[in-house]
Amino acid sequence: MDRKIILNFFVIFMFIALLAGLFNLDLLQGSKFRKLSDSNCIRLISQLGARGNILDRNGEVIVNNKISYDVMVLPQDLSQIGPVLTKISRILGISTNELNAAFKKNFISASVPVTVASNIELKKAVALGEYKAEEPSIIIAPKPLRNYPYGALACHIIGYVNEIDRWRLTKLEDYGYKTKDIVGFGGVEEKYDYYLRQEEGGLSVEVNHRGKFMRVLGFQAPRNGKDVQLTIDLNIQKAAEEALSGKKGSAILMDAQSGEILALANYPNFNPAVFVNQRSKISRLFNNPDSPLVNRAIGSSYPPASIFKIVGSAAGLELKKINLSTTYVCSGSTMVGRRKFACWDTHGPQDIYQALAHSCDIFFYKTGLLMGAQSIHDYALKLGLGRTMGFELPYEVSGFIPSPLWRKINRFQNWFDGDTANLSIGQGDCLVTPLQATNMIAPFANGGYLLNPYIVKAIGGLDLSAKKKKLTAVNFRKSTLDVVTKGLRRVVSDKEGTGNVLSSLPVAVAGKTGTAQVTRGATHAWFVGFFPYENPKFIICVFLEHGGPGHAAVVCAKKIIEEMSLKGLI
Amino acid sequence: MRNSFFTILILALIIAISGVLSIYSSTYQKEGAWQDIHLRQILWVTIGLVCFFIVSGLNYRKLWDANYFIYGAALFFLFLVFVLGITRLGAQRWLKIAWFNFQPSEFAKLAIIIFLARYFSRKSVDDTSLLSGKFGIFRGLILPFIFVGIPMFLIIEQPDLGSGLMLLFVFVCLLYLTNVRLKYILTFLTLIILPLPFFWHFLRDYQKQRLLVFLNPNIDPLGAGYTIIQSRIAIGSGGFFGRGWLSGSQSQLYFLPESHTDFIFATFSEQWGFLGSSLLILLYYLIIRQGFVIAQRTQDTFGRLLAYGISLLLSMQVFINIAMNMGLAPVVGLPLPLMSYGGSSILVTFIALGILVNIDRTRTVF
Repeated sequence: MDRKIILNFFVIFMFIALLAGLFNLDLLQGSKFRKLSDSNCIRLISQLGARGNILDRNGEVIVNNKISYDVMVLPQDLSQIGPVLTKISRILGISTNELNAAFKKNFISASVPVTVASNIELKKAVALGEYKAEEPSIIIAPKPLRNYPYGALACHIIGYVNEIDRWRLTKLEDYGYKTKDIVGFGGVEEKYDYYLRQEEGGLSVEVNHRGKFMRVLGFQAPRNGKDVQLTIDLNIQKAAEEALSGKKGSAILMDAQSGEILALANYPNFNPAVFVNQRSKISRLFNNPDSPLVNRAIGSSYPPASIFKIVGSAAGLELKKINLSTTYVCSGSTMVGRRKFACWDTHGPQDIYQALAHSCDIFFYKTGLLMGAQSIHDYALKLGLGRTMGFELPYEVSGFIPSPLWRKINRFQNWFDGDTANLSIGQGDCLVTPLQATNMIAPFANGGYLLNPYIVKAIGGLDLSAKKKKLTAVNFRKSTLDVVTKGLRRVVSDKEGTGNVLSSLPVAVAGKTGTAQVTRGATHAWFVGFFPYENPKFIICVFLEHGGPGHAAVVCAKKIIEEMSLKGLI
Repeated sequence: MRNSFFTILILALIIAISGVLSIYSSTYQKEGAWQDIHLRQILWVTIGLVCFFIVSGLNYRKLWDANYFIYGAALFFLFLVFVLGITRLGAQRWLKIAWFNFQPSEFAKLAIIIFLARYFSRKSVDDTSLLSGKFGIFRGLILPFIFVGIPMFLIIEQPDLGSGLMLLFVFVCLLYLTNVRLKYILTFLTLIILPLPFFWHFLRDYQKQRLLVFLNPNIDPLGAGYTIIQSRIAIGSGGFFGRGWLSGSQSQLYFLPESHTDFIFATFSEQWGFLGSSLLILLYYLIIRQGFVIAQRTQDTFGRLLAYGISLLLSMQVFINIAMNMGLAPVVGLPLPLMSYGGSSILVTFIALGILVNIDRTRTVF
């Protein structure tokens, strides 16, 4: 072919190659390069909003935020950093080496301010602010931090805040959560994190190749999180925590009519502030064998023991296996099959009232054997045991009520009369949480309704109690309720009653004690009750883990009620 | 006949104006002496246009006579660069004459084309046939290569690898267009390509770096690879319609270095996108095509070779520059003709175009 034509084609080919290259860059990879171009010149400077406050029912602050100050340095000119850090160190009293190390660790690029010291006091922040005129590269950034004015008070209700973990991040990524976000763990902080959470705002600015500020592209004001108001009454909470202090266990006070939780205390507890400013102590919290982070009131379940007799007596009366004239003679023990089942004392002849008052095991063995295990199981479930109640705090466990069928299917064992006897006094495989125990007694306090316990009253000023308040009728005959309620009163009013200590209180209390046998260590102590007897307003539940006989729990409950009546809260 | 004059004039003017606009957009935010740089470019374009008019009126055959003078002058200036040249960006390429910097290598490119065109179009005294048909290997290859080699060596030593290789390319193309046997050309090419690994050791460090980052810009993203990466980002971020006049962040916030000289295509492309850039490439192609057409209809061998040489030089400069902007060729210091800021390049390109027009105008004489 002619050389000229070949050369001509060669040139045409070159230009087609150019167009192809242009096509590739502009149209095929255009969006990628556009992003790269933006990331070249657009910088985001974030501004934090404050996380929502947590208030008690009277609007008193349980958790709020305090402003802490971070010292940042804008490293536009690296040679200037040394003297600037020296100045900062002189004011803060932190060694230059430490500041230098922090600077090196946090340095990202010339246009991003580097945090060299965080959480400094207001005084020092002001002193540093004076220097800003001569050293414009120093930036003092206010940062809201969680503040706990009452320390460990109500810590299990509140929970704590910490950097988001991997598991939560994968779950919450789609809702706008990012790595290094501060989120709630446990309690209201976790459950209502989405409402409490602040919205990050900030500036987007354009910078040139040296990272020098050119102009502001946009600004979004940060938004504070919504306040969450709890049903907790701080005074009652304080009383409960004081009475409980030093004794492992939990105490719950609930409104008998509406299901509002007025106090929910656990011991051992922790100070959530540790996660904010004493991070070295965190591992000690997690490794503590007493597990202070566990919310015992809902997060672990225990054998209910004698407080389960409320279920037994209600079931027996409902099923008409016993009535007011039913009397069993307690001679200290009875034979079930070939085994001897003992009572904790010798009570003599006992009717239903006396049996409740004295917590006579023989009466309930016999009643239980008359009804059969399945009936006891069914009535226990009717009273809200054996399943979670959808409480608002996370990590609620369901507890457990055994039944013959369950045993057959899961344990491949038969159910014997001895098991029925054990179940009727709340021993054996039976497990309830303190909150379930609290709710179990509610129908006898308010005339036949199970409640829906709740702890959040309002979010961001919007009252939710109408939605949360939910009464479930248990449909017991009125006579049944009356008899059991009277029996519960006799626990306190009888001279021999297990809860007689409470009779000295200015307010009439009704309730039931419990002493749970455990395989190892001291017994668990229970007390559930309500007061005032005539017109019940409060339900109280005290549970002491390995706290000894039920009496210990009664004493604890007495302290709480005394304190409440002293403060005129009843 | 007047056609080619106006076609080339208009095409060149459109390209030059878009060049001025791009220079303005990439420098208007800078301070001090940078701000009026587009005015200086306008001045250069004006002077270039004057040269274009003058040269297009002068008979190109005069170049035949002035050939040795032009070649000598080119060599002289190249030597002068070594002695008096000012150093900018690590290369000694410029001569300071009065108030502007003159780049002799631009001028040398044109001089070499004129020289080669004359060399290969000589006729024997008694015969009307071309001498080049009878050239052996010495007169067809070695001798002209020595004449090309001296300025080429001087240019590469400046160092300006791009312009040097441009001379080599023009030389090979003109060899190919004359009647020199294909066998010789292939031998020559083999001789150049074979010792390339050996030449590697003669490259300067920065040249090695540029070749390495051409293969993978990410080995040194903040050093030698930076320009390529930023230039690709600038071009790519333009998308189809571009980001608009004066709104290219890459070029205006100085992320793109040399945005008004060697990388002006990226500046232009960021603002005008695929649409504008492909139009610009089309304009360049039309000018070069015009040159080819002129070459093809010229009967005079000297004129024909001259026209081919000029068109090929232009096309190769455009191709290498745009390809290197897109990361398809290694970064060499080659300006984009008619667009990049720089007096020498603008003047020489307009003069070359003027010669093209004149060839077309004079061809009927023969």
